[in-house]
Amino acid sequence: MWKDDSSAMSVRIAALISALLLSLLLGLFYNAWKYEIERIKEEEGDWQSRIAGEFGQEEIEVIKNFANVKEAQTFETMVEIYFDDMRAVLGDTPRIAEALGVSSQKVFYNHELLAMYMIRDPGDTAPRLLFPMFLLIVSIASLSLIIIIHNSFAVSMNARIHQLGILSSVGATPKQIRSSLLQEAAVLCILPVLTGNLLGILISMGLIRMSNDLLGSGVPGRHEAIFGYHPLVLAGTLLLTAVTVWISAWMPARKLSRLTPLEAIRGCRAPRAGLFAQNTGELQLNRKKKSPLLACFFGMEGELAGNALKAQKRALRTASLSLILSFFAFSIMQSFFALSQISTRETYFERYQGVWDLMVTLKDTDVDSFGETEKIREIPGIRSAIVYQRAMAKRILTEDELSREMKSFGGLAAAGDRYVTKTEEGWLVNAPIVILDDVSFLAYCEQIGITPALDGAVIWNQIRDVTNPDFRHPRYVPYVKEEEAIGILGVSNGSVEIPVLSYTEKVPALREEYAKLDYYELVHFVPVSLWMEIKGQVGGSEEDTCICMLGRENATIEDLSALQEQVDSLIAGSYQTESENRIRELEVNDKQIQGMMTIFGGFCVLLAVIGIGNVFSNTLGFVHQRKREFARYMSVGMTPGEIRKMFCVEALALAGRPILIALPPAIVLVGFMLKASYVEAGTFLAEVPVIPILIFLLAIWGTVALAYYLGWRNIRRIDLAEVLRDDTMM
Amino acid sequence: MYGSGNNQVVALDGIDLTVGKGEFVAVMGASGSGKSTLLHILGSVDKPTSGRVIIDGTDLSELNQTQAAIFRRRKVGLVYQFYNLIPTITVQKNILMPLVLDKKKPNKEYFDKIVGSLGLADRLEALPNQLSGGQQQRVAIARSLIYRPALLLADEPTGNLDQKNSGEIIDMLKLSNRNLEQTIVLITHDEKVALEADRIITIEDGHVISDERRR
Repeated sequence: MWKDDSSAMSVRIAALISALLLSLLLGLFYNAWKYEIERIKEEEGDWQSRIAGEFGQEEIEVIKNFANVKEAQTFETMVEIYFDDMRAVLGDTPRIAEALGVSSQKVFYNHELLAMYMIRDPGDTAPRLLFPMFLLIVSIASLSLIIIIHNSFAVSMNARIHQLGILSSVGATPKQIRSSLLQEAAVLCILPVLTGNLLGILISMGLIRMSNDLLGSGVPGRHEAIFGYHPLVLAGTLLLTAVTVWISAWMPARKLSRLTPLEAIRGCRAPRAGLFAQNTGELQLNRKKKSPLLACFFGMEGELAGNALKAQKRALRTASLSLILSFFAFSIMQSFFALSQISTRETYFERYQGVWDLMVTLKDTDVDSFGETEKIREIPGIRSAIVYQRAMAKRILTEDELSREMKSFGGLAAAGDRYVTKTEEGWLVNAPIVILDDVSFLAYCEQIGITPALDGAVIWNQIRDVTNPDFRHPRYVPYVKEEEAIGILGVSNGSVEIPVLSYTEKVPALREEYAKLDYYELVHFVPVSLWMEIKGQVGGSEEDTCICMLGRENATIEDLSALQEQVDSLIAGSYQTESENRIRELEVNDKQIQGMMTIFGGFCVLLAVIGIGNVFSNTLGFVHQRKREFARYMSVGMTPGEIRKMFCVEALALAGRPILIALPPAIVLVGFMLKASYVEAGTFLAEVPVIPILIFLLAIWGTVALAYYLGWRNIRRIDLAEVLRDDTMM
Repeated sequence: MYGSGNNQVVALDGIDLTVGKGEFVAVMGASGSGKSTLLHILGSVDKPTSGRVIIDGTDLSELNQTQAAIFRRRKVGLVYQFYNLIPTITVQKNILMPLVLDKKKPNKEYFDKIVGSLGLADRLEALPNQLSGGQQQRVAIARSLIYRPALLLADEPTGNLDQKNSGEIIDMLKLSNRNLEQTIVLITHDEKVALEADRIITIEDGHVISDERRR
């Protein structure tokens, strides 16, 4: 009965798309789940519950004798228990504890792992959203698929309404009609569902690979995802697809099977069009509509096209919605990443160009105990190397010490009590200390134009104008009057006086940011030899020491990698280190942004595919849904050319509207993002990702045009005389 | 001729017929007699396998699809049993459609006259499916008359209407025939309807079996 190619094809495509999407979704979810478990096992261990306490071999045996326990082993001062049936963990572990005579307070569960198997302990309050999110996403996907594809079935089944009427007139019960429709739907969908499933698996495999390539490389400590699949996932996907497709077919089948024979046979030919016209799926409007714009631009054809679209509003709702959303999301995403790339470049990479090429962090090492500074400086290709460590101290500032500019925006009284504490003498502010190796400190003195000396501190005398919120272009004013020659640094247990060599606006070339969170900190730079004298009184140094190195100018990534290896080989044996390379970081950053863009872009494309699928399933059903409509146009004397024009206008409006709707809010939103990020509009406009957005747009238009072309090709073939004869000879 | 091989059906065979200007002709025949095919051929909806059909000096067998559409628009008014109105536009636009397609301004006076005589003046802004069957058929007649066609073809125009509406529709056709000198070919299997015409042609199995002039 489903002889007609186009409506059967539309049903097949609908089934294929549903199977593909669901299979992709489940495949990805399974892999996310598997990845999470692997990650948890790596980070937390794969034990299911633990009991704290010292246990001997005998007690371990007691544990092992529990029916469900697979394995028990001691780890530090705990015993880790593994169960055969994981669901027994919540019930059995307290009983084991009881048998051992241990209080239930000492029982711990691997909640994160257990949640992955949907075993939740009421005592665990963390949300653990993976499964709820998954269920939500899958049900939304299934529902929206049903909304999309039931129309294909409806059109396809409506095409046979006349036959159904005959069947029903010779005594077929509604149930028989329904089951015959559903059986045929099943036959039609088996192959597309299987193909779609397979494609979905392949695509999810590709996506996992891609996400590894895009996100994984270069990020230390990231657990690599390995694609996996499970027969149960396949079974679940097939079941879910079957249910989705079945509901989609059942909805129109039920409606059709309930028609009386007369209604079915006569279909649209009843005088009161309302009810019957719906049964034939013919386009109808219930209220007068106007399409003034289209009518104005394209005349009668424009008006007919506009009204036809309005009549198809329900059938095309998913298409409009998903096309609007996908275009909106895509352009926002492109703009967002373009902005964030500009921002990172401006605030990070460009700023630190000429500051560092290589950074080595020496773990748990104090700056005064590092002896390899000279050796590093001797490596050919190292232009400069600064070894430094940060320490935190406090300092009292009195009202008198503050600069005039500083006072003009409220002084320290305006600072709030988060970082600044009011005391009797004045205000206690943070005074971070940056300890430089002596050679670097002397060079720094020369750089700021003072007599190099190692017996004092240099104070960075700048404070941000807190009244200016533009963080990208901050304004600085002097912090204190440059009068005091002695600074008093202190911590809770004492204080120390240090001579001030100079106040300056310049900071040494380090990959450090000052006054980032706490605008009111007063930064002190001291040489390591001074630090060794005062550290007993001040203390507060951070754990790690850093080496900030510059290679030769215009160094390539190969140069830097070679240098990195040399430095590593020099110090890695005696220290625990972590090293970074600026160009590689830039590359990793770019790659990660690209990876994110590919993934988000993929979702936008997926959304667009849903919309386009809806357009296709609609246009492929045109022959049945609209042949009478076209016969009418032709009988009034519309030429094929005019009908084609109407068709083109319809496609144009359908594809153009999402853009027109999505563009203004997208522009407004990008405007807000620009404003919030303080990137200059000119900079952004020069890098607006016009081309990808344009390609996305043209792809949408192209596919909608193709869908309409196919629809037109089908409808063009209808024989007017035949349609009219069908009408009159009934 | 329809179908192929053994299934070939000759719907009309050797019909030689002339309809004069201003005539009101009824074509009668049972189901399958070929009367609908005749109407489709006259309306340039279908083409004869052989032979010629000349309306108002135009040979329909020589027209391509586009020419045939324009011919339908300007020279033929078609009225069907099931009205064939365009459901998505108003009554007024349905009536004016042939003119609008030709980008011609309607003659206001003529439009008002037709609409008035068909009793549609207060339903112009309605959608077709908001009208009764009789009203829809009147819209279809108004549409077929708006271009002052050479020929008005009506295919069982009353087939779907009750007695009262049927009578009214036939009266309107007669009126347009009298007042506007409109040439009408009406297809029906209802003898009572046919008797209203000036001339009754009866078709059976594709042949004309009688041609009776009544006035």
